[in-house]
Amino acid sequence: MYIGIDVGGTSTNAVLLDNGLVRDSVTVPSSADIITSLLEALDKIMTNVTAESIERVVLSTTLITNLIAEKKYTPVGLILIPGPGLSHEYYQFHTDTLIISGAIDYRGREIMPLNDDEIEKAINILSTKGYKKVAVVGKFSVRNNKHEQEIVSKVKCLQPDWHVEIGHQVAGQLNFPRRVVSTMLACATRDKYSFFVESVQAALTMRGIEGPVLILKADGGTMLLNKVTGVPIETIFSGPAASTLGVQALIPPGETAVVVDIGGTTTDLALILSGQPLLSSKGAPVYEQLTQVRALAVKSVAVGGDSLVERVGQEILVCPKRLGPPFCMGGPMPTPTDALRVLGLTGVGNAKQAVEAMEILGQPLGISHSEVAQRIINSVINVIVQEIENMFTQWEQEPAYRVWEVLQKRKERPNMVVGVGGGAAGFITQIAAKVGGSPVIPPYAPVANAIGAAVAIPTLQVNLRADTERGYYTIEQEGYQGKIEKTRFTEEDALLLADEWLKKRAEKYGLGNTVSNSEINHRDVFNMVRNWTTTGRIYDISVQTPRGIIGHIGAKDGFSNA
Amino acid sequence: MHKKTGLIFFPAFDWAISPTHPEREERLLYTRDQIFEEGVMDLPQIHEYAPRLASIYDISRTHFCVPQVQNQVTEAHLIASGSILQLADSVVSGEIKNGFAIVRPPGHHAMRVVHGNRGFCNINNEAILVDYLRRRHGIRKIAIVDSDVHHGDGTQDIFYHDPDVLFISFHQDGRTIYPGSGFSDELGGPGAYARTLNVPLPPGIADETFMYVVDNLVLPVVNEFQPELVINSAGQDNHYSDPLGSMRFTAEAYADFTQKLKPNLAVLEGGYAIETALPYVNLAIILALAGIDYSNVREPDYYPGKFKESPEKVAQVHRMVEELLKTWNTRDQVDFSQIFGSGKYYQRKKFIFYDTDYINEQQLEQVRRCNECPGYITIASRARRGNPAPVSIFAITIPLQACQACHSEAYDIYDQAKKKPEYDYVYMQDKYTDKYRTYVKSKGQELVTKGLVENAKNYSIE
Ligand SMILES: [Zn+2]
Ligand SMILES: [Zn+2]
Repeated sequence: MYIGIDVGGTSTNAVLLDNGLVRDSVTVPSSADIITSLLEALDKIMTNVTAESIERVVLSTTLITNLIAEKKYTPVGLILIPGPGLSHEYYQFHTDTLIISGAIDYRGREIMPLNDDEIEKAINILSTKGYKKVAVVGKFSVRNNKHEQEIVSKVKCLQPDWHVEIGHQVAGQLNFPRRVVSTMLACATRDKYSFFVESVQAALTMRGIEGPVLILKADGGTMLLNKVTGVPIETIFSGPAASTLGVQALIPPGETAVVVDIGGTTTDLALILSGQPLLSSKGAPVYEQLTQVRALAVKSVAVGGDSLVERVGQEILVCPKRLGPPFCMGGPMPTPTDALRVLGLTGVGNAKQAVEAMEILGQPLGISHSEVAQRIINSVINVIVQEIENMFTQWEQEPAYRVWEVLQKRKERPNMVVGVGGGAAGFITQIAAKVGGSPVIPPYAPVANAIGAAVAIPTLQVNLRADTERGYYTIEQEGYQGKIEKTRFTEEDALLLADEWLKKRAEKYGLGNTVSNSEINHRDVFNMVRNWTTTGRIYDISVQTPRGIIGHIGAKDGFSNA
Repeated sequence: MHKKTGLIFFPAFDWAISPTHPEREERLLYTRDQIFEEGVMDLPQIHEYAPRLASIYDISRTHFCVPQVQNQVTEAHLIASGSILQLADSVVSGEIKNGFAIVRPPGHHAMRVVHGNRGFCNINNEAILVDYLRRRHGIRKIAIVDSDVHHGDGTQDIFYHDPDVLFISFHQDGRTIYPGSGFSDELGGPGAYARTLNVPLPPGIADETFMYVVDNLVLPVVNEFQPELVINSAGQDNHYSDPLGSMRFTAEAYADFTQKLKPNLAVLEGGYAIETALPYVNLAIILALAGIDYSNVREPDYYPGKFKESPEKVAQVHRMVEELLKTWNTRDQVDFSQIFGSGKYYQRKKFIFYDTDYINEQQLEQVRRCNECPGYITIASRARRGNPAPVSIFAITIPLQACQACHSEAYDIYDQAKKKPEYDYVYMQDKYTDKYRTYVKSKGQELVTKGLVENAKNYSIE
């Protein structure tokens, strides 16, 4: 049996899946301490089953999201090696940032050496300012990590007890500013994450659970709960990913659907295109700063059941903030939930108070409480529908760098508009009508996120870049750089090497040898020609394990591939 | 909020003329690396657009492709062209302040008649853009400044008789580099005199004299012309490390030039120092267009004072600039009958060599001289590719600004040409009604590419 737990901001959900069916589900209010909420939900869901029957547990938590949102971490100093390019004034990361001279180019060649004095000076400055955590990031360090390594060994030598995080190991894609943010956040959250991991592991061991414990990532994949593997910030925003995966498990395979998760103050939107959740083409933005975290394309709209509704002049406006619960539930101001109550689209709260809330808004304008309610609902729906349209447009207009990619661009429209989350029921029919799909509120919608966690599987990628002229290759996800041993290194060799690394990663992530069928994302081959003769090749190859979920809830044969 | 700079980056990582040709997959690989690693696409001043395909119809509005558009263009060409049209739409709608199409394949050597690939180009992206801007957005007056090391002979050919297109090309002296044209006496036809200006530069010219030409000729002439839109054919092979060119320009100078010219649209043309120039030049141009400090962008091996210009060559350029300015300033006081004769038609004979495809073409181009409009143009062209029998075509192009008399006269000529046995194909490019016809002699059949319906209505004379 599988357990999925989602620790959200207001409530913690847990489900128990047994052979493709939801055997049990629980919801407990979230407390200030994530571990407390998690264990409370776990103990409740386990009341009728033995620890030995639990094959695996997958967690989705707001741990990292909260740490970063509330800045509950000791500050991180930055040592950067940006070299020539964008003006250094652009590198503003709201912390002490020391810029060291030195440069690597796009092929990993050193074009400017480091300066030892500058490095020592930088370490001293950070030390004087009291930093004990440092992120070291160089431009093009993913093509050659020599400079980053040299600085790190210097730090280790001068300040052995500092916690150092290195750019190329955290964020392997090209994008220096995002690498800086990713590395800084990885550095900031690592120790708290380790503490969390240890506590959870101890608690599970105490309960006799021996199956693997995994944690959900922003891209809907999982990683083993293990303090050394992986990068903690990859678990940021796992909540929306959990809901999306839950919906994926609750609707038939292959569907194109919009997931509308309407909460108290925000509505999260996600797309499932032909059965696959859409990944964001860019990394996840973390509080205004872009990272290299691979994430599902989730759009958060600042509107929900508890949003404040105000009258401004002749207009009735739904504002992007919450002052408390809905008026009909004892709150201070009118909300969309009050409007739903008045129109009979929800059963929560007190009907009389809901009417009163509408009258507060409507009386000065001389309009009836039901018309006010309809206006509020319309404006909430319009905002959401507009954002759904934007998401489709944005997906259609994603850049493409190859001829075949441009030619295969397609348009898709949703067959289904799937509502999950507390506020969905009242809105979903009208949203679906406008978007042009059929409204669906699946069974177990309130615990879809926990189901999503339970069905998530690890997805592993390997991006290999081999430069035969320079005779070395890099593995983006591992921060690895190695020599090419063969003299004639062909495209086939490159593919084999990428597959080999995928297997290695699978091993490391506790997947054993389950990686039998890897998928090729792209394979670019660049003939290098200098003075009219071919001098080498650059291979840019991306392979991954198939994305997906363990299975669909209620599928006839259960979770056959589990 | 200030308007953004639009970018379309289309490196065509799966397209090459041939595996070892300079126009191969690798060309923009390091540029990709540089602009992605710098995080350029994330900058708040930049908006990255998706490429789109131009239509066969967009191509027919500009070119006579022999025998048909489909024979001369691949999907990669349509994407490169379409990307530029996408940026043009966004500039005209006011969504962005300017745009840069870092796309391949290039186009500035493609002339009006296309028998094959010359100078790595099949279709002329800037010319297609101009015809599109006119038809789609009603923009008439356009300046094109070509900063490629090679003379933009295709663009010059297409707009040689167009008084509403100012074409300025500065490039390495044609006696020392492909395509061997672009001399300072190539000034445009009688109806568009001095609307074509060529500045052939002696090899070895560096940033200082480049800026002299820009400050003293390009900028004043463009300003006086008062174009509605400025296009830069942003070839980067004037860079000091380019393997095909012998000039000494730096990335910074390209950026300075961009900042001064302020083109609404910049379109990548040539540039084959794919490692030592393109990553830096492209980055510098993007930053300059977006109004971002580019002073920290520099080539790893560059230091100020690296290049010394020869004083004789500098003086030679100064004299030429003076000469060209004089031509520009006195362009309306010229006795055209002395230069061009006073016949009903002005004609020129052209021999065109397609270096990539080894095609030899002979052309007779005739322009109807008309006081009411720029006049229609007829082209009789015969091309031989290797051994097979040559292909003969006759083509007529009617400008958008055509007068009624020229319009009907052109159709008479079209009907007569269809009956002549020597032509395998006869073309009618009617920009006035936006209809493009091809008469295939062997089949006795006329193919028509119909215009955009909503615009055709406004212009239809039938
Ligand atoms: Zn060129
Ligand atoms: Zn006329």
